[in-house]
Amino acid sequence: MVFSDLFFLFVFIPAFIVLYMLGAWMDRVLHRKYALGDSSGEISEAAARRRHAFKNAVLIVFSLIFYAWGEPVYVFLMLGVVVVNYLVGMGMGRADVKNRRRLWLTVGVIINLATLFSFKYLNFLAEILRDCGLDVADPKISLPIGISFYIFQSLSYLVDVYRRDTGPQRSFWGLLLYISMFPQLIAGPIVRYSTVAREIHDRRVTADDIADGVFRFLLGLGKKVIIANQLGEVCRQLLDGNLHDLSTGGAWIGMIAFSLQIYFDFSGYSDMAIGIGRCLGFHFCENFDHPYVSKSITEFWRRWHMSLGTFFRDYVYIPLGGSRRHQLVNIFVVWFLTGMWHGASWNFILWGLYFGIILVIEKHTILKIKDKIPAALLHFYAVAIVVMGFGIFYFDDFTRLRDFFSVAFGGGTEALSFADKNILFEKFWLFLAAILLAAPLRGGIARLSNRLLANHEVTRQGVSLAVRLSFSLIILLVSIALLVGATNNAFLYTRF
Amino acid sequence: MKTNHIFITVVAVFFLAITLVFLTFPRSTFSEMERRELASFPEYSHEKLASGNFTKEVSQWFSDSEPYRDIFMTLSMQLKGLIALQRSDEDAITIHADNTPTAQASTPVDPDLSGDGNMDEFNVTEGRDAKAKIASNGIIVVGNAPNARALMIYGGIGGGDGYAAAANKYKETFGSKVNVYCMVIPSSTEYYLPEKVKGKSKAMLTTIKNIHSKLRSDVKPVDVYTILGHHSSEPIFLRTDHHWAPLGAFYAAKKFADVAGVPFKDLGSYEKKVIHGFVGTMYGYSKDIAVKNSPEDFVFYKPKDVAYKTTYINYTIDENYNVTAESKPTSGELFYTYKDGSSLAYNTFMGGDAKITQVRTGTGNGRRLIIIKDSFGNALPGYLCYSFEEIHVIDSRYFTKNMKKYVVDNKITDILFANNVFKAYSVKASHYTDFLKQ
Repeated sequence: MVFSDLFFLFVFIPAFIVLYMLGAWMDRVLHRKYALGDSSGEISEAAARRRHAFKNAVLIVFSLIFYAWGEPVYVFLMLGVVVVNYLVGMGMGRADVKNRRRLWLTVGVIINLATLFSFKYLNFLAEILRDCGLDVADPKISLPIGISFYIFQSLSYLVDVYRRDTGPQRSFWGLLLYISMFPQLIAGPIVRYSTVAREIHDRRVTADDIADGVFRFLLGLGKKVIIANQLGEVCRQLLDGNLHDLSTGGAWIGMIAFSLQIYFDFSGYSDMAIGIGRCLGFHFCENFDHPYVSKSITEFWRRWHMSLGTFFRDYVYIPLGGSRRHQLVNIFVVWFLTGMWHGASWNFILWGLYFGIILVIEKHTILKIKDKIPAALLHFYAVAIVVMGFGIFYFDDFTRLRDFFSVAFGGGTEALSFADKNILFEKFWLFLAAILLAAPLRGGIARLSNRLLANHEVTRQGVSLAVRLSFSLIILLVSIALLVGATNNAFLYTRF
Repeated sequence: MKTNHIFITVVAVFFLAITLVFLTFPRSTFSEMERRELASFPEYSHEKLASGNFTKEVSQWFSDSEPYRDIFMTLSMQLKGLIALQRSDEDAITIHADNTPTAQASTPVDPDLSGDGNMDEFNVTEGRDAKAKIASNGIIVVGNAPNARALMIYGGIGGGDGYAAAANKYKETFGSKVNVYCMVIPSSTEYYLPEKVKGKSKAMLTTIKNIHSKLRSDVKPVDVYTILGHHSSEPIFLRTDHHWAPLGAFYAAKKFADVAGVPFKDLGSYEKKVIHGFVGTMYGYSKDIAVKNSPEDFVFYKPKDVAYKTTYINYTIDENYNVTAESKPTSGELFYTYKDGSSLAYNTFMGGDAKITQVRTGTGNGRRLIIIKDSFGNALPGYLCYSFEEIHVIDSRYFTKNMKKYVVDNKITDILFANNVFKAYSVKASHYTDFLKQ
């Protein structure tokens, strides 16, 4: 199931809200019963677990339904992964010697990576072997939705427990909840176990949480349905057709459209995930911070898919030695893996290495003299590199990738064809809105209104409420209209 | 009350209201706009569940059959229309054909029927630089409301061999007693595609030429391509529908009558009728608001100087378009009546496709015609009442009788294949030849 699906919005969500609230009510009633006589204020872990038992049960059941809706068979694979990680975590928790913990960790990491490899990379390996002339059958394994995300979350759990950043999750249901929780299950953000460990059994929700969460969710819905899906039409028109008919300008419009689409698609998903999490009392980490304002690629990667970047930083780059030992090797390992993580295809590996190379070059050139270069130029440089990167990202067929870039660099039918120019006019306001909304407008507007209405608190609150409300209702209504009979509505990142 | 509480309450009430509408109001089953049955709730099976198709179809059903679907769809198209930058200089498009034939015949009696038998591509000189955009489903929308014209992209190169083979087989079967004609009807794309997006669609002429070249020498090709080109500055095609306009069919019928050597009357012998505010199938296909905002007049012509009687054998068809029953012959009107604004105006001709239509006219010339057609052919019989004493209209998708017997029983003298190029391009010969042995 995807968030931007009418069935999700108007069947799954209402049913979930009703049962979750019922669960919360039962938890409260039971808690009052158990809490009688306990005046210390301290509660045991078991009591804390009980305090959220019903609503967590509802969350788990709905999460499994959510996943099984798209993967009725692979849901058992996910359950298997949770069982393994639960046992390994418990094993590590009991082991007091570090070596034994390391043994458990090794076993756990191998099983997780082997699972990921089998389901994501085996087809690719067979293809490579066939290209080398070996007679290997195509295993034809379909990719379980979101496997890269939940395996990475599992790894973060094991490593955090191994490092004793957090204790192991003693309740199987608690771990199942962490891995399967539907808001972030299939397309991130990659929530670290330590981030939500406490909130699994101990969380509170205020009206502020719900209001912010709902607003965030609706913003994400708008990003996805109103902007990303419409830009997707442009990409399909320009990039999926016969590339020999494409003009050079059309190739660039296509790349820019895709760069914007993937940002609004993926950050929209993250917003929706963070928003739902907020309403349930979970505080997931942020995943995007206006990446297109970056003035270098180094900065871009600190702002784009942050949960993946920090994952590789903390679990691969630093353990390998970071900047202390053979930094160059470490950088390339990380960027090779980043590319690989996105998909079992050469273009993703190329895409990762492309960024690896640019980051290394940047480190020794631009970053040293960046204060002397005009900001606009730096900004243009960064955006151009990113846009070309998404050109590589788009084409998983190597022949098409090559044809596309030959068109983009002068090999097109003409500079800008009439049909391609027309697309710019036809989607003019969409492009403009997407570019503006990629900038940190919201923060700016909030700061401005705070300054202008500094002494009129009531007015400020009223204006803020009116703006939030009208945005929310308009987004909801427009999204419903755009989702009727919509095809091509899946989130781009659920295939990774 | 704090602002957050107000926010939550208002959003919750709005959300609840929409949820209740979606869950309790009757679901849409048919889309007027797209002319199609909407998805229905899928049938359950274990295999379907395991493959993930069951849940997928449930989601599709829910979004496809949403209550008030067409209203939301219209809103969605309006919104999509809003994101375009309006350019006033290209608002009006006019399309005029270059009516000077490249190869003038010497002193032609009727310029329509002249020519040396070679079809030449028509060079429409004006309006070819009009604004064009590619909408959904491979539809190109040319110009802005209220004059937008929607064109279907044609992807065929050559092709149509099966269509030619079918006509040849009929000729072989019926021999010299029955004339067989082959008409391939191009669509508006061939005449009105702006120069700059020409690469998006393939030339229909290559298909038509290929079909004509594959016909036996005794099967007569009816070249409507040329005559339609001569008249392309007139409203011979509907702008908002995939069909031609009745006027286009008039010129095609004129050409056919000439080839068949039967009498033919000009438009003075017809009563002109108009259905105003027609917006056809291309609105739903293109999902483009400019098409909805470009209603046109549906003009058709009823013969007034000849008596004719129409008999229908109606077929009942199931959801997969299979014939499940057929009615007894019943008399009816050749032209159905639709109100202004009806999107079904093209059904004026015989009310649709799933039937055999028999028109018996006062033209006692011994010529009896079968038209084997798709919906394009529906517009033809009205113009042939002065030309044939009987016209039998058979849709190739719905015919359950034996064609040999039918031809003999009804003393048929002429058989016309009249299909649009999209169908002619890909159709298998057996689609028609199976009728000879069923």
